[in-house]
Amino acid sequence: MSSLADRFNQMTGRTRFVVFRLFLHLAGEEVAPLLGVLNSSARQALEADGDIQIFGEGLAEVCQSLLQYDVYWQSAANEGNIFWDEGEAGDFVEELFTDSAQRYHSGIEVEGLDSSEDVLSLPITQNLIVMLIVAYEGEMPALETDLSDISALKNALKSLTNLHYQDRLRALQVHFSPAQLGDELTSDQLLLHFPELIPL
Amino acid sequence: MNILRRFLIYTVVLTLTITTVSCGGRATNQVSSLSTPPAQRANPSQNRLNDGQYPVQQATYNDADGEYTVMLLNTKPGDSSAYRTTNLQMAQLTDEEVSKGQQSYLKLENNQASMHIQKDFKIDYVHNVTEEQANPQTGQTERVVVRQESSFWSPFAGALAGQVVGNLLFRPQYYVPPIYQSGGIFGYGGYGNSYNQAVNVYQQRYQAPPAAVRNRQTVRSTSNLRTPNLRTPSTSTQRRTTSPGSSGRSTGSGYGTNTLRRSNSPSQSRPSRSGFGSGSRSRSSGRRR
Repeated sequence: MSSLADRFNQMTGRTRFVVFRLFLHLAGEEVAPLLGVLNSSARQALEADGDIQIFGEGLAEVCQSLLQYDVYWQSAANEGNIFWDEGEAGDFVEELFTDSAQRYHSGIEVEGLDSSEDVLSLPITQNLIVMLIVAYEGEMPALETDLSDISALKNALKSLTNLHYQDRLRALQVHFSPAQLGDELTSDQLLLHFPELIPL
Repeated sequence: MNILRRFLIYTVVLTLTITTVSCGGRATNQVSSLSTPPAQRANPSQNRLNDGQYPVQQATYNDADGEYTVMLLNTKPGDSSAYRTTNLQMAQLTDEEVSKGQQSYLKLENNQASMHIQKDFKIDYVHNVTEEQANPQTGQTERVVVRQESSFWSPFAGALAGQVVGNLLFRPQYYVPPIYQSGGIFGYGGYGNSYNQAVNVYQQRYQAPPAAVRNRQTVRSTSNLRTPNLRTPSTSTQRRTTSPGSSGRSTGSGYGTNTLRRSNSPSQSRPSRSGFGSGSRSRSSGRRR
């Protein structure tokens, strides 16, 4: 039924929009350097003030770093939807932002200055989760499948990079937790707020 | 023999009827659900006009959201004479039509509007002067309309129009106005068979998206990124995972940009189709805690 409708829409020449979300969970003490990559691309993107080209370059950089850390991949999940109406796709992207943002704590933290004894070492996080959300035009079969498999995931990350260079990205978001070096994401928090994750 | 033949005829007729009804029902269903364009769905209370041609009295373009408001004549009593849409094709009247004394008109066909206008037709252009302002409450910078200026836009007048070869001008296409100048703008910034194509042409020429597209873009970020210098990890090294405000969540950051249109529909219509992904498997394995 749905494929019939797809074919009909394709025949009438409507644009196909796909909204895609990927969760990738990395585990291990060596994953913390990725936070540097994520934060620097985030700052670059925000300075560009919404220029999708600059955002896309940031995404390509993030994807490449994730591919280099493939030994630390622990679990993953993905979801997505196909739209034939641009307005619906745009709404769904905003919904996904809100849903992704509520999974971590992003407010300005009030820290008690008189709290515990200062230590000279930073706690290193054992877990890192990256959420990538993109909306693109057309079809990308490597993304529109079940990605709970390492080789499929590798292909998907490469396709995400390609989407940027093919100028097909229409919206993109990157979320990551923890926010910076020195913050921790525990396994309990991971289970509680990211129940979708499937071990690879 | 005769009975057999008659039986055969009835069987064939019956089979054909059943197959036609069962297959045809779905097809018509689809057509009716697909033919509603996004613009129509956005403003269900407006634009209830039947297909046909309507003389154009006046047209206005707002560059904040790229919306055209076309004032029409000869609409049916009870119908609004203002047609508002962001999805408007334009074409120049052909010499033949002009010599016949044809005035500018708006043609509605399958809910796709195309405006056929004279060469010197002036569209009222509402220019919104925007400024980046920091919201004192949230600390985020947002784009705010400071004032509006009024001008006009003549898409087919001026030298630029000559650059499009031959008959292209007379076929309905999408046009994007050029960069705003007070005192009137002539020609166009981009054109194409689709709105996005027109925007791409504009972008190649000016190295920036048109105002209507730029205003549609939203940049969202969670507040940790906007205030990167508030806490420096080198000076405060407490474990933050136990801070009372975080309610069991770890810290995180996110940012994103969205250049897609919004549907602006008051009710959220969630897509009924589940799409693709690992969702079906996670529902069973997600209960592992």
